[in-house]
Amino acid sequence: MSVLRTTARAPIARTALAVLAVVAVLALTGGLLAPLDPLAQDTARILQGPSGAHLLGTDYLGRDVLSRLLAGTGLSVLTAAEAVAAAMLLGVVPGLASVRFGAALSWISLRAVDALMTLPFTLFAIAAVGVLGNGLHQAMLALGVLLAPLFFRVTRAAALGLDRAQYVEAAELMGASRSWILRVHIWRKVLPTVAVTTAHALATSLLAVSSLTFLGIGVQPPAPTWGGMLAGDLGFLAQQPWAPALPAALIMLTVGALNLLADAVRDAEPADAVRGAGPADTAVRKEHRDGLAAV
Amino acid sequence: MTLTTDRPAAPPATGRPTEEPLLRIRGLGVSYGTGARVLDGIDLDARAGEILGVIGETGSGKTTLARAVVGLAPVTTGRITVDGTDRTALRGRALREARRAGAVQYMFQDPLRSLDPDLAVRHLIGEPLAVAGIPADVRAERVLTALDLTGLDRALLDRTPGRLSGGQRQRVALARAIVTRPRLLLADEPVSALDASNRNHVLRLLDRLRHELGLAVVVISHDLDSLAGVADRIAVLYRGRLVEQGPAEAVLTRPLHPYSALLAASAPGLDRTRRAGLALLRTPSPAAPADAACVFAHRCPFADADCRELPQPQPRGADRTAACHHAPAWREHLSR
Amino acid sequence: MASPPSDHPAPADRPVLTVDGLHVTVGHGRTEAVRDVSFTVRRGEALGLVGESGSGKTLTCRSVLGLPAPGVRVSAGRIDLGSTDLTALTGRQWQQVRGSRLGAVFQDPGSYLNPALTVGRQLGEPLRLRLGISRAEARRRAVDLFAAVGLRDPGAVHDRYPHELSGGMLQRVLIAVAVSGDPELLVADEATTALDTVVQAEVLDLLDRLRTERGLALLLVTHDLAVVAEVCDRIVVLYAGQVVEDGPTAEVVTAPAHPYTEALLRVAATGDRRRGLAVIPGRPPEPGTTGPGCRFADRCGYATDACTAGPVPLTPAGDGRLVRCLRAAELALHGAADRDADRAADRPADRPLDRTEVPA
Repeated sequence: MSVLRTTARAPIARTALAVLAVVAVLALTGGLLAPLDPLAQDTARILQGPSGAHLLGTDYLGRDVLSRLLAGTGLSVLTAAEAVAAAMLLGVVPGLASVRFGAALSWISLRAVDALMTLPFTLFAIAAVGVLGNGLHQAMLALGVLLAPLFFRVTRAAALGLDRAQYVEAAELMGASRSWILRVHIWRKVLPTVAVTTAHALATSLLAVSSLTFLGIGVQPPAPTWGGMLAGDLGFLAQQPWAPALPAALIMLTVGALNLLADAVRDAEPADAVRGAGPADTAVRKEHRDGLAAV
Repeated sequence: MTLTTDRPAAPPATGRPTEEPLLRIRGLGVSYGTGARVLDGIDLDARAGEILGVIGETGSGKTTLARAVVGLAPVTTGRITVDGTDRTALRGRALREARRAGAVQYMFQDPLRSLDPDLAVRHLIGEPLAVAGIPADVRAERVLTALDLTGLDRALLDRTPGRLSGGQRQRVALARAIVTRPRLLLADEPVSALDASNRNHVLRLLDRLRHELGLAVVVISHDLDSLAGVADRIAVLYRGRLVEQGPAEAVLTRPLHPYSALLAASAPGLDRTRRAGLALLRTPSPAAPADAACVFAHRCPFADADCRELPQPQPRGADRTAACHHAPAWREHLSR
Repeated sequence: MASPPSDHPAPADRPVLTVDGLHVTVGHGRTEAVRDVSFTVRRGEALGLVGESGSGKTLTCRSVLGLPAPGVRVSAGRIDLGSTDLTALTGRQWQQVRGSRLGAVFQDPGSYLNPALTVGRQLGEPLRLRLGISRAEARRRAVDLFAAVGLRDPGAVHDRYPHELSGGMLQRVLIAVAVSGDPELLVADEATTALDTVVQAEVLDLLDRLRTERGLALLLVTHDLAVVAEVCDRIVVLYAGQVVEDGPTAEVVTAPAHPYTEALLRVAATGDRRRGLAVIPGRPPEPGTTGPGCRFADRCGYATDACTAGPVPLTPAGDGRLVRCLRAAELALHGAADRDADRAADRPADRPLDRTEVPA
């Protein structure tokens, strides 16, 4: 917990948080802020540059780019968050459970995770959509399943180190239940690690949504998303070379802020709380890097 | 400052040992996996209001002894009873219930590792009560009582262990151990990490607590000085065997086992004269048989063919045993 | 300077180590944690640096070794090893000094050895590099050194890995490494604190023997006054970053001149329980929080108003002793001998084994 507090005091983390706050506000109110209907086509003015009527110009169907960017924030962020939420649920809970609830569960979950990690991302998404039907939630669930091993391994590594901590043994001597130990002692230590992973996973899934939309999986046109706009604009590079830069810049800004925040959390870590779990700490880091490399 | 216990079975807090031992260990053997015995054939008692010192070197099994009592080490043979209850037979739910009752407490060696670094002192001390489901208001009151008993400032309640001094951390660990109003406290090297002044602070505290709470206290240490000032009785472990036990004064000043004598003579002193008998005690006997059963024979200056047979703890005077074939005859060599 | 006990060789004229007016700051220069510490160690002499945690003994010791913690800096003063000013050395020069002229052992020997190499190799390789000797010759020398530090079966120990040895054996290995370059000075920083009583006594004897045989100068840093009393010719008592007393061990232990030394002696031994377990009330001051006067005044039973009024100088107190106390001349402080005398008088029939039973 104190890790998060320390993090919030770092200037770089504050900048990142400010950016993310703006993104959050846009996600909630973007549609209302849009000056024009993001879906309204004006075939007379396609692929126009910035003007008084269209501040950021129009796209290949004559839709207002600014309005689409603003209105698309919500859907982009929401989809990414949905995928990460699914990944957390599928990763953190089994990750903690695999440490605290016996060898059998540990073995099964490890094998399942190993299997998941061998699956190629795009292929799995296409297959999932093929089975579950094409739709936003199906695609995000598929993405969540694929991100879950990241959370699983990071959480498990952290919890594994903590499980042998003496204060956990002390709690066992008090007659504490396993869920008490998880809640009071382990969860607090795992939280910073999970926060770092979440930031990275959010960034990953924002980009993944874009590439899925690019393939026509997930979000259906004409609903605007950053990834969808990026994909659409790329088709008209010859006519409007700078157009993809706008959604790309937004994605990069958000991803960058998330990464900075994640770094700040990680940097705050050794200075404070995880004393006494030194080796576990480095194990977590390594596990974390490996996990990221695998995605 | 006194603490009234609400447990009817609590003995009168006179500090005078009562007759029936609170902790009774009989024939205790512990081994990990298929390996050799870490402890073998230990018989040991601790009475209410008494401080029992357990001394031994690294690997002597002294920590394992305490861990076996609280169920953290695998007991392969023997029985451990506390207040008439067989602790070795406890499993699963019964074990958890017994632990929540908190009659037996174990203080880990290093408070920096055994106290959760993220929890404030009030939560650390209150945790055993919270686990046992004691309501928050009662809990808060008992945390304050434990805090006062251990001489901790209330201003420390909201600090985390990282922001306490070594002596304060040790007291927090002690407060956590007594907050459940235990009958038996096992303290593993409670003072080894402290400087002399803080060491004496904590030892005084243990001494006072056993009087005020009628506690049986087992203090484990590798350092004779930590025990000399506070223990009523001392048990000496060597390689998993109890080689000597008896009243502290007697064991320290007239040891009946050569290893106890070596320990006593090795303790550094301010007077710079202790080396006299030490050279003899350090020299292994050339007559020691290679197949000796006695665990100390390979280092013993008095070992001979008799030591092929395992020496059993023999009563030597009141409340005293020594496991040596040559006790007390070997002592005559010392003064030669 | 006092003459050392007669059973040790007479020191040469020039001190091996001279620490002169050492000031050390912590927190990147913000706080002065060691102030104006001076002492000398001569050839064949053992000096004990004593104090509670926070007294500055470790900072001083680390400064001598050139191994300051982050943010710690020598801000003033000189540390001379022979005629070399250690405070002016560069990193490369330090490496030469540490390997050959300066040896050190610490509290946790295991962490100073590579777990993947045999201990013999860790001793022999530097020897080979430095002396350009053959592998066989390095092995022979390593085995000799292991024998010299009292390891039984040194040939077998040579081929062991650190995890196969006990703490006491590891400490002997590290001592062998420390003396392998034939240093002028051996620094032992709480080197026996974590060891078992019997092993501790053996290692102390070893250090004592090495300094006699090799004419080593020994700087022993510890919080345990009894350990210093065992081995050292002289004691320097530090409190809150200052030297409060400096003198020959026998004199300091039997008749301390500073109230803090008296307090340390009182808490040092717990052997006699009727006298109770003595404690020093209060806590040492945090660095940088002290007033102008005596830093021990608030914990001192003899303090007067004059003690806190202005700086208390370190003044000679006869017999080559120095003391930082205004009332040193008028106080009659109790030493270890008084306590033992009490004990002997009170209970003549029940004395500790070996301390009085067996005549020395």
